[in-house]
Amino acid sequence: MNTEANSNSTWSNDDIKKLVSDENGTLDARIYNDEALYELELERVFARSWILLGHEDHIPNAGDFLNTYMGEDPVLLVRQKDASLRVFLNQCRHRGMKLSRDDSGNAKAFVCTYHGWAHDISGELIDVPFEEQAHCDRLDKHEWSPLQARVATYRGLIFANWDEEAPSLDEYLSDSKPYIDVMFNRSEAGTEVIGGMQKSIIPANWKLAAEQFCSDMYHAGTMSHLSGVEAGLPEGVALNDIEIPNEGNQFRAKWGGHGTGYFVDQPGLLQAIMGPIVTDYVTTSPQAEAASKRMGSSMFGQRMMGQHMTIFPTCSFLPGINTIRTWHPRGPNAIEIWTFIVVDADAPEHIKEEFRKQNIRTFSTGGVFEQDDGENWIEVQKVFRGNKARKTKFNVQMGLGDSTTEHPDFSGRIGGVYSEDAARGFYQHWLRMMTEPSWDTLKP
Amino acid sequence: MASLIDIDNIISSPAADLALQHEVQQFYYREALLLDNIKYEDWFALLDDDIHYYMPIRRNRMQRYGKVRSNDLPEYTNKHEFAHFDDDKTTMNGRLRKLLSDYSWSENPASRTRHTVSNVIITEGEEDNTLNVCSSFIVYRNRLETQVDLFAGERHDVLRRSDNALGFKIAKRTVLLDQSTILSNNISIFF
Repeated sequence: MNTEANSNSTWSNDDIKKLVSDENGTLDARIYNDEALYELELERVFARSWILLGHEDHIPNAGDFLNTYMGEDPVLLVRQKDASLRVFLNQCRHRGMKLSRDDSGNAKAFVCTYHGWAHDISGELIDVPFEEQAHCDRLDKHEWSPLQARVATYRGLIFANWDEEAPSLDEYLSDSKPYIDVMFNRSEAGTEVIGGMQKSIIPANWKLAAEQFCSDMYHAGTMSHLSGVEAGLPEGVALNDIEIPNEGNQFRAKWGGHGTGYFVDQPGLLQAIMGPIVTDYVTTSPQAEAASKRMGSSMFGQRMMGQHMTIFPTCSFLPGINTIRTWHPRGPNAIEIWTFIVVDADAPEHIKEEFRKQNIRTFSTGGVFEQDDGENWIEVQKVFRGNKARKTKFNVQMGLGDSTTEHPDFSGRIGGVYSEDAARGFYQHWLRMMTEPSWDTLKP
Repeated sequence: MASLIDIDNIISSPAADLALQHEVQQFYYREALLLDNIKYEDWFALLDDDIHYYMPIRRNRMQRYGKVRSNDLPEYTNKHEFAHFDDDKTTMNGRLRKLLSDYSWSENPASRTRHTVSNVIITEGEEDNTLNVCSSFIVYRNRLETQVDLFAGERHDVLRRSDNALGFKIAKRTVLLDQSTILSNNISIFF
């Protein structure tokens, strides 16, 4: 895709490159609030990146579909008769009406409610009312079917990408896979979804949320979630009585802007979020030991705790907590958050139930942790209305220059748990997507 | 499995005794004042030990599936699925503890809320000392400088007779919010 095509933007590539400095650890607040930059993001980031749409378990049977989004484009994700997946624009090629308005369901066909153009579950236009009289048989139905996206899966997660030339999902995930596997490859049975997609819309830029899940253990260890921690403490235990963990690491993908961080052997934060039952399940139970065996590493199977992770741009999840979400952008000033929960498919029922209840208690729109994230993000966004505030230079310098690629336990580029190297990687990849039109230079 | 709510039974139920209707409504008005005046501890004290505070997620469903609230493809998530709230006494106590913390940024400074409760329909409870009560609510929230949120919905309560000052405790509250995508940055208040 030629990103130069959007030549009416007020932003030149040279100007965009001044907004983010990986080397100096700085960024310009306009990346969070500028309308023209956002329009470029839709074309250069969201139309070229792999976007998380859901989990295989959302649509197990032929005809099962999920109505979702890639950026601001509504798409239908549909299971085919041969078990393959299709993703196509949820828009009729006649006058643009949606082909489906169910959040999810099972369909034999998708019929536009405007003039009745009918499509099969693969998205092919198959029937047009009064075809003989209206089109005199001149309509090439294949040509006038909705736009199809590429679809690929990794460990049950379904991603889609509009760009034919983008690298495969496999290449795109780069060296981040072992860190994804901590949540999604714990057993042969894989993961399944706890039903229900929670959606909420909040007035904040998508990068605030995506980068926080990529790189920011700092907010959890310092101020943001103190009251969330307090909500989970046993009676008689005060906030002052507990020690916030501080030993752990952060990983920055060598390509792609993905990142993760975690404590090592310090279950304190995980305990506060998920309670003792889930904490034991993911760190010491026979299932946790089996996960270590499967991954060939007790570090990856049992000892990384309170992990956060983002696959660029908008797929974020918390291994051990098992919330996963897509941050759908809605203009520079809003995110539509779509959250679901996964569990090990072979986990005992009471463990699945505990994951469900603790996620509702902590990482949902009413959750005692997520409530305060929502508060931070929208307040940050409000301040950007100021003429000075909207272009403030921000400090992203924690752990600058401290990462190593020779960590004894962890593959890839590794820093300390309170580093911001993954954030720098996230923004550096954003910058490359925004300024490099060709995959010849951009590819891994 | 029964539907989440037997709405037909509520619609067809006879009108409650006037004194009882008055008593229950007065309880709700006072309960609303507790919430609207951030008397958190007093409000949480109204939740009985077996409290189930529940708010399922609501989905968009085409009517071709039959009744949208039927059991086959319900509009609401079921009890094994994700929800906005699914709390017992212990987790509600945790929420209270959060609210009383100095670090509860989502409610510090506190929201200004106005709980308006109406359309109260009382039906017989399953125990001698309980009532099933359906009501509608509109909750206005104004927060910090200019944030405004509006929540509307239905409550299905089990109220249990109590010797507390307000005469009842809440044994069960199912909140059916009239939103699919939540239009607020969080749900840090109670209904």
